Amino acid sequence: MILIRAFEAALRVRPDHGFQLLSSGQEAVSVGVCAVLTEADQLLCSGRSIGPALARGLDPGAVMAELTGRTGGLNRGKAGRGHMAHPAAGFFGAHAVVGGNLAIAAGVALAFQAAKRPGAVVCLFGDGACGAGVLHETLNIAAIWQLPLVLVCDNNGISVSTPRDLVLAPRHLADLAAPFAMPAATIDGMDVLAVRDAMAAYIARARAGAGPAFLECLSERFSSHSTATTETRSQQAMATIRARCPIERLSAHLIAEGLLDTAQRATLETEVAGEVARALAFADSTPYPDAAEAMSDVV
Amino acid sequence: MSSEPPVRTVRLFFREAIARALAEEMRLDASIIVLGQDVGAFGGSYKEFVGLFEEFGASRVRDTPVAEAVMVGIGVGVAAAGMRALVNITYMDFLMLGLDPLVNYAAKARFKTAGQITVPVVVKTTAGARGQGVAHSQCIEAWLMGVPGLSVVVPSTPTDAYGLMKSALRAEGPVLYVDHKRLFPTAGPVPIAETLVPIGQAAIRRAGAHVTVVSYSFMVRVALDAAAQLEKSGVSCEVIDLRSLAPIDIATVAASVSRTGALVTLEEGQLICGVGAEIAFQIRELCGPVRVARVGALPAPVSSNPVLEAAVVPDTNRLIGAVRRLLSV
Repeated sequence: MILIRAFEAALRVRPDHGFQLLSSGQEAVSVGVCAVLTEADQLLCSGRSIGPALARGLDPGAVMAELTGRTGGLNRGKAGRGHMAHPAAGFFGAHAVVGGNLAIAAGVALAFQAAKRPGAVVCLFGDGACGAGVLHETLNIAAIWQLPLVLVCDNNGISVSTPRDLVLAPRHLADLAAPFAMPAATIDGMDVLAVRDAMAAYIARARAGAGPAFLECLSERFSSHSTATTETRSQQAMATIRARCPIERLSAHLIAEGLLDTAQRATLETEVAGEVARALAFADSTPYPDAAEAMSDVV
Repeated sequence: MSSEPPVRTVRLFFREAIARALAEEMRLDASIIVLGQDVGAFGGSYKEFVGLFEEFGASRVRDTPVAEAVMVGIGVGVAAAGMRALVNITYMDFLMLGLDPLVNYAAKARFKTAGQITVPVVVKTTAGARGQGVAHSQCIEAWLMGVPGLSVVVPSTPTDAYGLMKSALRAEGPVLYVDHKRLFPTAGPVPIAETLVPIGQAAIRRAGAHVTVVSYSFMVRVALDAAAQLEKSGVSCEVIDLRSLAPIDIATVAASVSRTGALVTLEEGQLICGVGAEIAFQIRELCGPVRVARVGALPAPVSSNPVLEAAVVPDTNRLIGAVRRLLSV
């Protein structure tokens, strides 16, 4: 979580990448989900991909290079924030069409089921995807075919500028899964341990062939929709939101349990700062693609 | 003339040719699955899947809900994860509901992942007018022939229905396979031996000297009818069946137009930004100024009313009129 936070802090001050969709504030969802995944599993996510990619254990240098359009990136800089992927490492990838990865994830899960592969497939998406018809279609077919698929809604409560309550009728978004007779829950997405524990149960079911599940994680977006979007929430609201920091929450918990002290925390921050600096240095050391790459891997 | 022995053939209906290609490829490649509405024991709305469910079972021939977005999405996801899928969209009009995974994911996956993900999916769908009304009759293939990364094939004969389906099921990337309601009841000779038709290669169906008529899918039959009638009055038409719209074999068209000096395009869909418009412009770029005419649907919806349907969809007489006007004969 502190790597994601520091990575994004370093990235957002760079002027050369266009814009980014940051995961800061929502780190606990990605990290809690990925904590239970193994190399046999596949993760798909939305265009808000930095948290999921780093939580999945991808090399921060390769992620930074991808986000800044360098050929040292996961996809030679061609995918960027919206579409980066590294399936060989269990990160099937981001897809920047809201809700667009839901049906794709069901297909990957069907391939797992058909080949009797041991893993499961997880699809992370935002509350913005919950008004889309394809979510209903995916829930239905995943339930009918008992696909090894866990759908995780990272509900940060706001879609660009539109509050979730203004556009989505269900009391809980997990209620959307209720008609399909699959386990579903709404949990505190700012509590990384709660996310991990809920995911552990769902992923175990999916791997065992017991079918899909739906997990709604209530989270907070610490910044505007993208680094190019104006924040619409008040300064007072943002102060309240940022006070719910998932990193400080875990840190306080670990200190109270005697599992972490302030010196260790400081060491972690230093290590992460070094890792981010190395990631930036690596990204900057690799070139932009030649313009001829616009035509490579097209057909 | 060629001294090759004649190809031994069997007479198959268009729908049988499709089923044969699928059965052969599914035997060769155990990872191929079929997804669609009524493709299982029912055998497909046009009986083009008959026998597959019985041979390959419910796990490989899957009936789906009426949900085109997830149908195409699952086929794309299955293919992206290393298998192959054919997704059947009963009517091309409904493909609009499933275009997102095809256009935004499948066609771009190889590019955006720098080759880490390829999507060998075939989306098969049925176009054309046959009494089914404004939302079951459209030919929207022209919308999709300009999507980088997406192949579009449009067979007109049972041999091509068979051979193009086999090529599509072996292609590295996504293929849109468009058949036609009025082709399913047609029959023709199909090679007994396994035969592939390459994607991106047009066929000259009839040699001629005065005008090149370019068409595809069911309209090739209309073009051949018109050519036979025009021949009687001394007008010699060369008829080219495009067979693929993406990639398009413009070289074959250009070679023909350089001989004839005149081009008429014939399509069942709309003329505005249509297949004919694209061909005419490319031919202008390749061959310089030539006489050109386009024939297509009237700019109106296609009613299920037989009088109104026939008024909108092009036919032999309209093509003959266009050729005569172009050649002033």
